[in-house]
Amino acid sequence: MIRPPADPPTSEHLAPDHRNGSDPRNGSDPLIGLAKPGANAPGPDDDPLTERRRDVRVGPDQLLALIDNTSAVIYMRDLDGRYMLINEEYERLFNVRREDIIGLTDHDIFPAEVADDFRANDLLAAGSGGPVQFEEIAPAEDGPHTYLTVKFPLLDVSGQPYAVCGISTDITDRKRAEREIQMFNVELERRVTERTAELEASTKELDAFAYSVSHDLRAPLRSLHGFSQVLLEDYSDKLDETGVAHLRRLQVNATLMAQLLDDLLRLSKTTRVELRRQSIDLSSMAHAIVRDMVADDPDRSVHVAVEPGLRTAGDLHLVRLALQNLIANAWKFTAARSVAEITVGSLLHGSQQAFFVRDNGAGFDPRFKSKLFEPFQRLHSAADFEGSGIGLAIVQRVVLRHGGMIWAESAPGEGATFFFTFTTTVSPPETRGKDAD
Amino acid sequence: MQTDHILLVEDNPDDVTFTRRAFRKNNFGNTIIVATDGVAAVELLLPEAGAEPLRPTIVLLDINLPRMNGLEVLRRLRSEASTRLLPIIMLTTSNDERDVLASYEFGANSFVRKPVSFDDFLHAVKCLGTFWLEVNEPAPVLAAHPGNRRTE
Repeated sequence: MIRPPADPPTSEHLAPDHRNGSDPRNGSDPLIGLAKPGANAPGPDDDPLTERRRDVRVGPDQLLALIDNTSAVIYMRDLDGRYMLINEEYERLFNVRREDIIGLTDHDIFPAEVADDFRANDLLAAGSGGPVQFEEIAPAEDGPHTYLTVKFPLLDVSGQPYAVCGISTDITDRKRAEREIQMFNVELERRVTERTAELEASTKELDAFAYSVSHDLRAPLRSLHGFSQVLLEDYSDKLDETGVAHLRRLQVNATLMAQLLDDLLRLSKTTRVELRRQSIDLSSMAHAIVRDMVADDPDRSVHVAVEPGLRTAGDLHLVRLALQNLIANAWKFTAARSVAEITVGSLLHGSQQAFFVRDNGAGFDPRFKSKLFEPFQRLHSAADFEGSGIGLAIVQRVVLRHGGMIWAESAPGEGATFFFTFTTTVSPPETRGKDAD
Repeated sequence: MQTDHILLVEDNPDDVTFTRRAFRKNNFGNTIIVATDGVAAVELLLPEAGAEPLRPTIVLLDINLPRMNGLEVLRRLRSEASTRLLPIIMLTTSNDERDVLASYEFGANSFVRKPVSFDDFLHAVKCLGTFWLEVNEPAPVLAAHPGNRRTE
């Protein structure tokens, strides 16, 4: 074990760095100069700066004042662990006076476990030759406190350590906050995992349900339709006109129900499929949809105006599905108009861009607005306009899945306008993927 | 008319009735042999050593089947040299994307969803039969098996 120098250690031993050879114990001057070695000797080329530097002298009282006026705990112990110096914060915290602690060790002050820990760190710092950082825990009245401690050895002229200085900063609050954040994160993680599992389970269930609907409910419909056909063909001599008509209605309804099942499946699929956002050119998408409708229904004459340059970020297939349903809707409800008009455009809704599809068709009664987007809800009779009432429900699902909104304005006989947004907060339109069409 | 066989793998007796009716109504004279589950179908096409295997011109294969489903049957048949190139047409209620994709990946030649309307089914069978029984030229390896296809 390396012993401290023969001189009883005093506060004079405190110096910025003893290894540079400027050991203050060497001169008779009790003051410690902070200037570089040699600066004390006046030379022929003295300039005013050198002179000013020579005048700056920091005494032990000043250094004590420095260490006493900090919120850090500062102390110096010899290599046997005996206290040489503590600052006022130390005195205040551990309720001990500076003069009383000299010569005591941590084992006289702290529980053995704590003292052992401090001692081990002292020895590590002594052997390291330079500053070492530790996290230490010391008891206090309100429970243990955590300190971030920097310890460094004091070296004698031969470069051997004779003491260890420590500067400890109380980081208890920070540690507590860190622990709380960590606990919160763990809890959050747990909840996310739980919710994800729940969501996956319900998606799987929905999936299984949809699969079952598509298979098990269709088979009996085929039997209904098929055996009606067998009756119509093989037993026609036993059937009068009314009997034939009834069988025909049976077939129509079996087909209708099959269509409903398919619609239901399509609706559930808009909820189930994974959403992949990309930049979409809505204008050219609208043009393409209109071209298909014209091809399918060449007898209709519909004037369609599409605002150029409409763009959004969304799932290509889902957005097309939504737009297709909205335009098809407008197409359908303008059938009775001599001059049918459909407009696809955009406007500012608050600070957000909202798109719209407007028609001059049959419109709807705003009193039933709330039913518009409900699956299988129809605001018109099947005789006037065919359809299962699934289209707008699909549009709403698509919009909601994108985090957007959909609403409609109309009066009976005065056409309808459907407004919708696809929020783009998740990813800006410029950054993703390739354009549609 | 030559009497090539068709193997129909179907567990729903109503669907068996309709399929037989549809082929008859479309004047296809083929004998329709029915396997009512996947295992039975595999046993007919890939019997134990010594037994004579069935060599149909086409297989109409449902997906939802007892014991062994259609996709498993398909994989099994595609893994054996004697049935690897046999025309297999999925004829099923499903139009689930995953079923369609899996069918093609496992080597189905065609995928047809059974329509609810019998008229539509009749039309589908007419197209299927015309193409697979009359237009299509099967792989030569199949013609080498006795009891199959007409010879030149």
